[in-house]
Amino acid sequence: MTPEKLTQLSTPFSVLAAGILIAGAVLWNNGGPNTQVAAGMPNQPQGAPQPSGDLEAMSPITDDDHIRGNPNAPVKIVEYSDTECPFCKAFHATLQKAAQEYGNDVAWVYRHFPLDQLHSKARKEAVALECATDQGGPSSPLGTSNDAFWRYADRWFELTPSNDKTDIATVLPQIAKEIGLDGSAFATCLKSGKFDAHIEDNVQNAQATGGNGTPWSIVVTQSGKKYPLSGAQPYASVKQLIDLALQEK
Amino acid sequence: MIIQALQKVFAKPLFVLLALIASLAAFAFAVWLPNLRLLFLIWTDASVSLGDKLALPISLLASIATNFTVLSASYTIAIAILVGVNTALIVHLIQVRGVFGGGAVIGASGIFTGAIGLGCAACGSLILTSLIGTAGGISILALLPLRGGEFGILGVVLLGYSTYLLAKQITKPLICEPTDIKV
Repeated sequence: MTPEKLTQLSTPFSVLAAGILIAGAVLWNNGGPNTQVAAGMPNQPQGAPQPSGDLEAMSPITDDDHIRGNPNAPVKIVEYSDTECPFCKAFHATLQKAAQEYGNDVAWVYRHFPLDQLHSKARKEAVALECATDQGGPSSPLGTSNDAFWRYADRWFELTPSNDKTDIATVLPQIAKEIGLDGSAFATCLKSGKFDAHIEDNVQNAQATGGNGTPWSIVVTQSGKKYPLSGAQPYASVKQLIDLALQEK
Repeated sequence: MIIQALQKVFAKPLFVLLALIASLAAFAFAVWLPNLRLLFLIWTDASVSLGDKLALPISLLASIATNFTVLSASYTIAIAILVGVNTALIVHLIQVRGVFGGGAVIGASGIFTGAIGLGCAACGSLILTSLIGTAGGISILALLPLRGGEFGILGVVLLGYSTYLLAKQITKPLICEPTDIKV
């Protein structure tokens, strides 16, 4: 093969190689085994085998989950969210709209997925959301623990600018006070570490189901079929997906 | 020179169509990238109507406004447009001269580099996380001031340079250039 021919062929080969690399990366990411680094990384299971992104690995929805709407709704949207993610903030509003429009037909389930490497404050904020839940209850003026959770979450996303710009030392207790929580009990809870394992379970479950960013959502139909939804998609898309899921019996 | 080349190539409606198709394909790929799995599930599901199979991907195109920052949306659109332009220029060159040179290599590099930056800021660079793992990908993005936007900008620069090189080739006169003449 002459040098001239080699030069001629190198260009189309470069284009082909780039295309194969991109296509391979996309296929690998969407269907291949998870390639996450295991030990030593925050947000990673220590030494545990890395599961593939499998929607069926989603933890079952139980009474311990934070559910907005009818727990027996035919369609459930399980959202894995990061309190400092600006797209989660936007998507929170989208799902509020969906919950309002669909009423008893759709239940919204919130789970934690703080991206520690991008948002160092998010894990603490996830703890704060759980601590809000902790103070709710049948005899609480806040309503049920579920009500307390959603009031705190709604106010959080309404008030804060995302991307770790919030002074959490001030704002976390501020919101607690606003919604009527016991400040002292809230502060004790924040330091207690009692919800750390639960939040880490949520994180690992998000990754096990294939989540690699936030918001990461799984729409579950009545028959148990699952549709993955990555990112803060427009309301029209969410609505179409919900309608599709409602058709599935 | 670039304007001259573009005028020459896009005087033919076929190349305009080719550029549009390539641009749309690149744009759609970028916007659908986070949800290819969902689209695959919908498209392969026999119980989903054709209308729904078309409606969902079309509605997902609007995520350029909801799932991208201003920066990432800008370079995504710029890359899509430049991919279309580059495609038309490359095809024209092959048609007229039979070969194409360094411009296409730069163009391919630009597409690849831009693709590394693709994926919304929230979902991370999907290509990067695929290549080096989610934790590695997120770690690298966290170190960068623009959280991966650098790749998108670099992609635009490379594609822009590719456009320049291709335009230069197109506007070169069609002559035979002597190499070594042995007497």
